Amino acid sequence: MISRRTTFKVAAAITAASTIGIEAAHAADKVIKVGMSMSFTGADADSAARTASGAILAFEEANAAKTIKGYTFEFIKLDDATATAGQYDPAQAATNARKMVSDKAIVAALGPQMSGAGKAMAPILSAGNLATITPSSTNPDITDPKFAAQYKPNGKAIYFRTVATDAFQGPNMANFMADKLKVKTIFILDDSGAYGVGIADAFQGQIEKKGVKVLGRDRLDPKAADYAAILTKIKALNPDALYYGGVNQAGVKLMKQSYDIMPKMIKAGGDGIYGGDTLKGAGFPAVDGWYVTNASPHVTEDPKASKFTTAFKKRFDVFPIDYSATCYVGAQVIIAAAKKVVDSGKEPTRDAIRDAIGGIKLADSLIGPVSFDENGDVTNKVISVFQVKQDKSKPLDDPDSQFKYDGVAPAA
Amino acid sequence: MTSGDLLLQQTINGLSLGSMYALLALGFTLVYGIMELINFSHFNVFMVGSMIAMLILQAFGVVGQETVMTGLPLVGVLVATFAVTMVLCGGIGVGIERYLLRPLRSVKGPAVMITTIGVSYVLFNIVLLTLGTDAKNFPNPLPPILYNIGGAVLRLREILIWVIALGLMGALTFLVRYTKIGRAMRATAQDPDAARMMGVEVDRVVMVAFFLSSALAGASGMIFGLYYNLAKVDIGFAAGLRAFTAAVLGGIGNVPGAMLGGVIIGLIEAMSGQVVGTAWTDVVIFGLLVLVLVFRPAGLLGRIAPNKS
Amino acid sequence: MVSSAIAYVSRPFMALAPEKRHALSLVVLALVLLAFPMLHDNDADIDTAANALSYATLALGLNIVVGFAGLLDLGYAAFFAIGAYYYGIFTSFQVMPIWHDWWAPFQALGFVEKLNQGGPDLVHFTLSFWIALPTAAVVSAFFGVLFGAPTLRLRGDYLAIVTLGFGEIVPIVARNIDSVTNGAAGLNGIQAPKLLGYNFGIDAMPYYYVGLVLVALLIFVSTRLRDSRIGRAWMALREDETAASAMGINLVRFKLLAFAIGAAFAGMTGVYFVAKLQTATPEMFNFNVSSMLLVMVVLGGMGSVWGVVVGAVLLQLMQTWFLPQLSEWLHMLGSLLGNETLRNVDMVQWTQLLFGIILIGMMLFRRDGLIPATRKVPLLNFAAQHAEIRRGGFANLENIPRWNPGTGNALEIRDVTVKFGGLVALNAINITLPAGGVVAVIGPNGSGKSTLFNVITGLVEAQSGSIKSYGVELLGLLPHQILELGVARTFQNIRLFPNLSVLENVLIGQHARLSSGPFASVLHTPHNRAEEARALTWVSNILAMFGNRLTPRAAQAVGGLSYANRRRVEIARALASRPKILLLDEPTAGMNPAETLELAEQIKSLHDLGLTILIIEHKLDVVTKLADHVIVLDHGDKIAEGTPDVVRRNEQVLTAYLGRAARAAIQETANVG
Repeated sequence: MISRRTTFKVAAAITAASTIGIEAAHAADKVIKVGMSMSFTGADADSAARTASGAILAFEEANAAKTIKGYTFEFIKLDDATATAGQYDPAQAATNARKMVSDKAIVAALGPQMSGAGKAMAPILSAGNLATITPSSTNPDITDPKFAAQYKPNGKAIYFRTVATDAFQGPNMANFMADKLKVKTIFILDDSGAYGVGIADAFQGQIEKKGVKVLGRDRLDPKAADYAAILTKIKALNPDALYYGGVNQAGVKLMKQSYDIMPKMIKAGGDGIYGGDTLKGAGFPAVDGWYVTNASPHVTEDPKASKFTTAFKKRFDVFPIDYSATCYVGAQVIIAAAKKVVDSGKEPTRDAIRDAIGGIKLADSLIGPVSFDENGDVTNKVISVFQVKQDKSKPLDDPDSQFKYDGVAPAA
Repeated sequence: MTSGDLLLQQTINGLSLGSMYALLALGFTLVYGIMELINFSHFNVFMVGSMIAMLILQAFGVVGQETVMTGLPLVGVLVATFAVTMVLCGGIGVGIERYLLRPLRSVKGPAVMITTIGVSYVLFNIVLLTLGTDAKNFPNPLPPILYNIGGAVLRLREILIWVIALGLMGALTFLVRYTKIGRAMRATAQDPDAARMMGVEVDRVVMVAFFLSSALAGASGMIFGLYYNLAKVDIGFAAGLRAFTAAVLGGIGNVPGAMLGGVIIGLIEAMSGQVVGTAWTDVVIFGLLVLVLVFRPAGLLGRIAPNKS
Repeated sequence: MVSSAIAYVSRPFMALAPEKRHALSLVVLALVLLAFPMLHDNDADIDTAANALSYATLALGLNIVVGFAGLLDLGYAAFFAIGAYYYGIFTSFQVMPIWHDWWAPFQALGFVEKLNQGGPDLVHFTLSFWIALPTAAVVSAFFGVLFGAPTLRLRGDYLAIVTLGFGEIVPIVARNIDSVTNGAAGLNGIQAPKLLGYNFGIDAMPYYYVGLVLVALLIFVSTRLRDSRIGRAWMALREDETAASAMGINLVRFKLLAFAIGAAFAGMTGVYFVAKLQTATPEMFNFNVSSMLLVMVVLGGMGSVWGVVVGAVLLQLMQTWFLPQLSEWLHMLGSLLGNETLRNVDMVQWTQLLFGIILIGMMLFRRDGLIPATRKVPLLNFAAQHAEIRRGGFANLENIPRWNPGTGNALEIRDVTVKFGGLVALNAINITLPAGGVVAVIGPNGSGKSTLFNVITGLVEAQSGSIKSYGVELLGLLPHQILELGVARTFQNIRLFPNLSVLENVLIGQHARLSSGPFASVLHTPHNRAEEARALTWVSNILAMFGNRLTPRAAQAVGGLSYANRRRVEIARALASRPKILLLDEPTAGMNPAETLELAEQIKSLHDLGLTILIIEHKLDVVTKLADHVIVLDHGDKIAEGTPDVVRRNEQVLTAYLGRAARAAIQETANVG
């Protein structure tokens, strides 16, 4: 019988000679292996698959273009959801972090999706010197210097983000709504999730400072179907606007029902409800008129985005979501860091890649210029505002043609 | 909006929600009444029902909310979709019962209930793997007609939901009260052994109960889609849990109790959203349930079962 | 070859005595588990094992509630959450009140630290893991009682939904009170345990060992409780609440105790779990976790201590280790075979589907659990095992001390009326049972005889009247209190605990005469040991009274016994409680004439021993043989009383008892004779 230990080695040896989902590598090529810990099963399975697909596309492109001579990228998917939890399970995320740390071949990681998982993983990854880039976890605590002892006990930043934390999107949008939309009263909702609560809290803090009257704040159960009760209450309060912090799960239901109950009110949200899925799930006319933000500068007439969408659709037969792009860029950062290390004549080790990521500057990525501050947060904090305006000449679920750019949300 | 309008509007909201819960609660109660089984697969049969209805409506060429039908075509499409959805869901229910639960019929304890949890996982994941987890824009051919009653708004689809729910509940009540199979069901619920001795085919009764229960789940799945214009793989749990609560609140095993419980839970959900906020809705619902059961352990309409000796 | 080799190796092992074999297996298992992290130096796998261990502790706790006490709990994760947030809040950076000097003593004890992040000094809680572990058990137990209390009157499935409700409420509260729990974002910086200056940090190995100790501890506690007075009481109320309370078990107390101890296990696990994870989010404690824990318990075998551990570990490892690993193995196989499909198959997405299928399969084919529950049966002594069959009165009475019936009235029933809705079941009944007497109650079916017993033993309420036993009022007392006063009964339609053994059934009769609480039972205090030994002697003496009828069957489940033997066990169970008054409800029903005669003799010897007896009986010869005094009931009224002979000749009795036609026939016979 083969013991677990030997199996592990055999597996490593064999996977070293093969790649998953990528064209067979050249026999002579060395492998740069990247771990991806996301919630591939359970409630978030779909968004995990599409998020990870962003990275897969980036690695496939890099391998095809032989971006780094003599090296091939390879990745391993680890599921951080369990049947016991029914969704992401921080305990499993921690196990995955340990798994990646103990697999010496893995030199960088992507993920996790959820801040709850990130909090369980960060200390372990820090101890293992393994840098990870999260495409979607936006809770500021993990990169907050206040909690450095907790989340980066080794001192160096290992938790990088290609997504702006809640600390910017919410407040900037608050400024936009108070200054440009001249909103005087508002009602705020969130979706109970870490992202939604965080962004709504930050939004509320700033909009109160701007002197806008918050008529109420409530929380939607993303698993519940019916928001008519709270929306009827909001209708009766008759605020100028409604702000929603959260993702599509509750978001599309909210859009549909709020359209029925108060079609004319100004409604806005964050990047959790920006993308083709929002358009497809909520559909016109419900989605029409919603303001959303995106944590990157908008480059007009930029062909990159539509090129990415086309390539993604062709490869995976689904539309990318917002986090497909952040994950794509996350993978590009890892590729660039590895290239920098290899070009400087060194081995692409964990330490080297971690150090390199901190200094990476992508001038012109899919989500705008990307570089990181000393905590690992993306430095680009430009928040763009879009409004949904139906364009019947284009596909109704194509975000590029249905979301109209409406300017930059002023920084707080 | 005056506060009177607000109350009226929330009542309309609550009744619509309650009708859906009531249909789903009936399914729990039917199966529970006959087998004393908490059927967790019911949650996801409901979800599968909304998916089936979505696929059928799409096959009829209905796209999103843009294909509006009226008159006979509308009635035809709705009736056909309801019928096919209910029959298919009923078939799923019968299949689950026949092949997975019947071998466990004589087993005491929660093993059967656990099997239904397993079935629930399987249904959920089959849909997840084939249709994905994203929210789907449910095709809805209903014209967007609405009536203003003071400041409150009543939509056509709300009226339709009430009518359909009442119709199905009426049909079920008739079936249970006045037909041969209904008598057999009631007899089995009272005392399966005695019923068997009196010549009732218990297997058939259980199968019919599962068929009806799952067909009702399918119907409420479709109603869910028409009401919210949405289908999603994870809708089963929250709706199922509330419906189950409704069944217990009304007195589980009791058909009018399930209807009453459903409507009450729907109204509570609407009113607590208004008064204390949706963040606390579940706490209000379950808190109230605990109170009711403490003071009336058999539910609102349930009899306290005599101790079986 | 292989099998013979195994046989060769296992032969000396199998030759060992069962206890030694058991002990040896335990030692080997312990050694393997202790050595695992050193043999297998993979932090992720050790962590997976540690997670599985924490689910094992949860399953052990749920097993107390569901498996032992039979209380279906669908919201068990609530207590897991309470323990987790208790430790989380008192060690993280979430709640930080402004420093005040009265915190200083706590600082000296190491419970808090003074912290300055700019601004005023703040209090940072630093509760030690080792203190949190036992205190979390207490805190969770408190909530166990709090959540259990409203459910006490509910039957199984209602209980399930109420517990499910609490299970939903707790995570919602955790999510909504952000200021204390940091809501959905999760707590930051929950402190890792320290031991003798060594910080556990994020290394999986020390957690694994703590988990192992925790599992071992809880297995020990579970086993000890199961085999104690408390475990017997739980199993009794699981099998039949009415009979349990009639046998002196305080239902409220023991249900709450089960909730409390089950919750305590979960609370400790919560502390362990978040200390390992160093964060806590409300999603970690949702309904899924509760239902999966129930699956683990059922899969392992309800009530089976080792079973639920195996069930939990297996299910957890299957989803966190085996199924994820499977796709790596398939990729490997694909590479070896050059099979492109196999090499690219993405098993990860299929995990939950497979999981559901396996769950159904296990339920279909192994529904009693992997390790069905077995319980230790205390051994009987040689003499008891070799008791001989003897007909007639009781045997082996030399070991039974005489009862002292005392003086006065053992029972004095005055004007007792019981109504069910409009139906009068007992109408102002007066009965006196003198100490040391034997009184029989006869009457046609539906005359109120069993209701009389039920009202005496507290199972039904009387609308008016008074029932005194030796001057103490019984009305208004609960069944277990009445048993404690020395009134024990049997039931017309035998209410034994069918899945328990003869010995356990009869031991449960001793319940009210024992006093060991949970701590004494777990620790086997000298008092507890002496008490258990006394109980066992007493019970084997009682069993021995029935000659060879029950003693050889002591270890058998009563469900499999003959009808007559079940009647005997029920009488033995009542006797085990050392009653002063024994209420026998049709004890000879369903027995053949020889058995009836034997039992009548035995009841007579009980009377000779000094027991006061109230008996309901249809067989008039038995009544004549035993009773000094006969009461006749009809439609809730007492229509006659007196000595057996007097009653037999009473016309009203004959009419009521036999009906007019029969009476006419008898009179005709009498006339002819």
